[in-house]
Amino acid sequence: MTFLYKPIYWSYRNSSGLWHWATRRFTLPGLCVAGGWLVAGAVGVDIENTVTYQSFALLFAFLVFSFSCSFFFSAKFSATRLLPRFGTAGQPLPYQVVVKNLTAQTQAGLTLLDDLADPRPPFDEWLAFQLAESRRIRPFRVSQRRERNPFRRATLKPAEIPPLPAKGEGTVSLELVPLRRGILKFAGVTVARPDPLGLFRSFRKVPAPQTVLILPKRYPLPPIALPGQMKYQEGGVALAANVGRSEEFVALRDYRHGDPLRHIHWRSWAKTGKPIVKEFEDEFFVRHALVLDTFTDEPHSELLEEAVSVAASFACTVLTQESLLDLLFVGNQSYCFTAGRGLGQADQMLEILASVQNCADKKFDALEHLVLRHLSVVSGCICVLQRWDDARRKFVDKLKSLGVPVMVLVIVRPGEGIAGAGGTLVKAEGTLHVLEIGKIGEELSKLK
Amino acid sequence: MKTPPCLLFATLLFWGWQSGMLLVGALAGLVLEAAWVFKWRWDLEDVDFNRIWSFCFLVLVALSGYIFSTNDEGGGLSGMVHGRTVHNATISSTVTYTTVMRSLPLIFFPFIVAQIYNVRSSVPLTAVSLVLRWRRRRGERSLAGHYLDVSYPYFIVCVFAAGIHPNQATHTYFWGQCVLILWALWMLRARRFGLKHWAIAFAAVVALGFLGQFGISQAERMVQNFNAQWMARLFGPKTDAAQSVTAIGQIGRLKLSPRIVIRLEPRKVGVVPGYLREASYRTYSSRNQTWFAGGSLNDFSSVHQEPDNITWVLLPRADADAVSIACYLNGRSQDGDHEGVLPLPTGCSRLENLPAETSVIALQTNKMGTVLATGSGLMIFDARYGRSATIDSPPDITSTNNDLTVITNEIPALNQVIAEMNLTATNDAENLFAVERFFASKFSYSTWQGPAKRATNASPVTRFLLNSRSGHCEYFATATVLLLRQLGIPARYAVGYSVHETSGSGYVVRERDAHAWCLAWNRATRTWDDFDTTPGSWMAIEGRQSAFADWLSDARSWIGFQIAKLRWRQAHLRQYILWTLSPVLAVLVYYIIFQRRTKARPSKSNAAMEAAVIWPGHDSAFYRLEKRLAAGELPRPPGEPLADWLERALAEPALASLRRPLQELLQLHYRYRFDPNGLNDREQEILVQKVDGVLATLSQK
Repeated sequence: MTFLYKPIYWSYRNSSGLWHWATRRFTLPGLCVAGGWLVAGAVGVDIENTVTYQSFALLFAFLVFSFSCSFFFSAKFSATRLLPRFGTAGQPLPYQVVVKNLTAQTQAGLTLLDDLADPRPPFDEWLAFQLAESRRIRPFRVSQRRERNPFRRATLKPAEIPPLPAKGEGTVSLELVPLRRGILKFAGVTVARPDPLGLFRSFRKVPAPQTVLILPKRYPLPPIALPGQMKYQEGGVALAANVGRSEEFVALRDYRHGDPLRHIHWRSWAKTGKPIVKEFEDEFFVRHALVLDTFTDEPHSELLEEAVSVAASFACTVLTQESLLDLLFVGNQSYCFTAGRGLGQADQMLEILASVQNCADKKFDALEHLVLRHLSVVSGCICVLQRWDDARRKFVDKLKSLGVPVMVLVIVRPGEGIAGAGGTLVKAEGTLHVLEIGKIGEELSKLK
Repeated sequence: MKTPPCLLFATLLFWGWQSGMLLVGALAGLVLEAAWVFKWRWDLEDVDFNRIWSFCFLVLVALSGYIFSTNDEGGGLSGMVHGRTVHNATISSTVTYTTVMRSLPLIFFPFIVAQIYNVRSSVPLTAVSLVLRWRRRRGERSLAGHYLDVSYPYFIVCVFAAGIHPNQATHTYFWGQCVLILWALWMLRARRFGLKHWAIAFAAVVALGFLGQFGISQAERMVQNFNAQWMARLFGPKTDAAQSVTAIGQIGRLKLSPRIVIRLEPRKVGVVPGYLREASYRTYSSRNQTWFAGGSLNDFSSVHQEPDNITWVLLPRADADAVSIACYLNGRSQDGDHEGVLPLPTGCSRLENLPAETSVIALQTNKMGTVLATGSGLMIFDARYGRSATIDSPPDITSTNNDLTVITNEIPALNQVIAEMNLTATNDAENLFAVERFFASKFSYSTWQGPAKRATNASPVTRFLLNSRSGHCEYFATATVLLLRQLGIPARYAVGYSVHETSGSGYVVRERDAHAWCLAWNRATRTWDDFDTTPGSWMAIEGRQSAFADWLSDARSWIGFQIAKLRWRQAHLRQYILWTLSPVLAVLVYYIIFQRRTKARPSKSNAAMEAAVIWPGHDSAFYRLEKRLAAGELPRPPGEPLADWLERALAEPALASLRRPLQELLQLHYRYRFDPNGLNDREQEILVQKVDGVLATLSQK
């Protein structure tokens, strides 16, 4: 069966490569001329009834001339890219490139094109994605939602280079829009010069390999009263030095559900009109588990990407509150990262989330075991799931039966919803939230 | 990317000139360029562009249908594989597409006008693609906000449309497009190079292009020298007026298809000819079991249509009986046109309702009674016929190959049969009756010829007459012709179809109804009479097939017939395509023009529903205050935030003393309106009291 996909993969590689080459080599007028040339060729076949073959000949002459001119560009340049440390998926990432003219002539009218590493995946990865798509999408459904350009990492527009004096340099401001989280690799910088007619570009390439980490997309979350109460952190001595509760008074903070009544600071309540509690230094503190479901065999799953985004949104929001957050997920092995209250920052958590990969070779039980191992120290669980099946429902039921407050967020594709008898009960209790792709931001803003 | 001023005007003018619609092109160009002068603009929404695009697309479809239905040349896919027809079909089928292509600037004119006269001078990407529209409706937000300026695409369409006209070996189109492209590229040229470099480059390209188009036209002439007519020989089985190769002597079962090939509709109920003859032949060759029309008798002469252009007279007389016949022409002429012999009733005198303009290119007859037609692939006409003279020539008894010639090696068998018949009559009628009775009593019909019966050196006809006495119609017809000739009665071999199966109010003739019979000369009436000795059981034997298979075959034949009628413009449906689409277009135009207005005018029920919607804080007492102040000299324009308006109001000296209470009231009002927790009862009461207080203060002033 696999061999049937080989020609399609070959076709995909070549067509996408050709399109990449054409869109970089041709200017917009050049693309119009090339497209017009093809149309004129098709229309002008019958040269008795049409004279568009004359357009065909003229446009072909344009292309031949412009292409020939591309061989006469011998200038030399060096380039340095000034990149920020992070970017965020979906957010414009401005940066600069310093281009130096190494020739003795002034260079004007040039364009800079930044070169990203080839995003085309190897055959196995491409095949896994195609098989997953074919399982999901019914055949011959033109209008059914497909993921377009699943392997494309970023969009990038050419930028004009200011006139470069002889042996001088200039700074070019560029902006790229990362489309996916993870490490974005740059291969080099290309300085392009159009031909006199402005149709075709000739290139001078400058190697400049570099990387930037793209953090997951995040949604704004309202202040959320997370479930759970303070728990004794056994063995958390190192933590307790910073965050625990001893007899020494540390600060005042808003009341959370589960706080002992004797810690209420009545004067502050009277003053502010809302319950305020005293915080002590001791080994008792609120600690939440952020459980991320990574179990899918789709390497570029839309559901996984959105689940990571939701997890990142929680990581950013929760870590600004007075609590610890354990990020639990399963990849090649089981991972648990703790952050908050001096242990780690939100950006470190986001870096981890930016690198999360799908887990195709393990079952959901692996995550369940990981969470159960940590259950004794966590106050509550935020579970971000990719589907709502029996395994996940039993997992949530088990957590609830153990008395752990749970907030369940299930990502679904548009119009799909969730099924399952157990789901109704959990939903009725208000702990299950279905987040439909495309409306996730709206749904999250309704959380309380 | 917007086109430079006057470029679209010049392009449309050029298109109008090349297409023979100069005035239309000039007017269209003026409409577009007037946008530089007139500054008023429409505020069209995305959905309006969707409708305008749909309208343009429907016009495109309607125009294509209309031109296709009125295209005299016909065309079609089958024409693409038939020799000379490749050339003709290319011309004929291009009539439709060239007309449509040439009209593209006009068809999409509303779309470009909508863009140019819109506030946003671009169109949404979702307007031009149904797939994108569906995806947008399914909630793909990534498609929102993608807009496209279609000025340059429209420019390209106009330039190409200007080139859709017959090549008259002039270069006006070439130089015209050079000017327009120069104009367009001038604005987009690379600024790195000076004007001199650009001009040299453009001149070089134009010279190269000119040489290129000259080379293409020369190459095309060379290609035209190759003759592709040989392909026509590969296709198109047909009845040959010159010869008929029979299946006599072949072993095995003769199987013919139940496909319907002819449909008849009698003008009088029940009056229908028993046979439809296609051709007749005189000379039989026992070496290859083939009948030949023979010599000069096969020469055809043209029949000319009457002045009404739909009547073709074969014999100058007026017969009462008529039947409507629909048949296909499966052969091909040397020119690649459809050609075939018409199946006609014996004694057919004229063909009516056969338009010379659309159906028939040429109609010819020969002296063997064959009518050869050249024209469209499907012929539907009325045939008038009577029992008198036919177009066949009288018997030729003078030449060596005449209507009484009998092959020598068949004579012994024929004499043996005549002896067996014990003929005593002297007139032809009695002899004919005796022959008919002889075949009916001694012979049987069979489509099967076994190998065992072949183990003699005798000819197939001899074996049929003396041994097997069983065979299909070609055996009977051939043997009968030879037998009659041996008896001194001029006879010919005829092929055609037997008509016996009714279908609704008419009759259908299947391929398996193909039949061969004998034409016997009637000395009394001096006519050729049909004389069929094949046992009547042949129809039942040929018709042995399951009802379901017949039903399937009939359904397929009917669909094929209807498609053929459409294709060859024998149906009225095509004439009504435009009339069918007109109401659709009218409704769409109405929808585009008036829909927004109806949207803007909400119905009573909608208004009532909107009134019924209660938003938080709708009953805030602050509104009374706003109304009071707005009624004075401080009107609040729609959309102005209350805070801004209040700040403006407080600039009035008269309200300076109320600044603090008014600002407190506004804060309370905002809390009442927007705070999720709202105001409690006590705070609402305070709001009302304070508003009343301020109103009282205002009224005192």
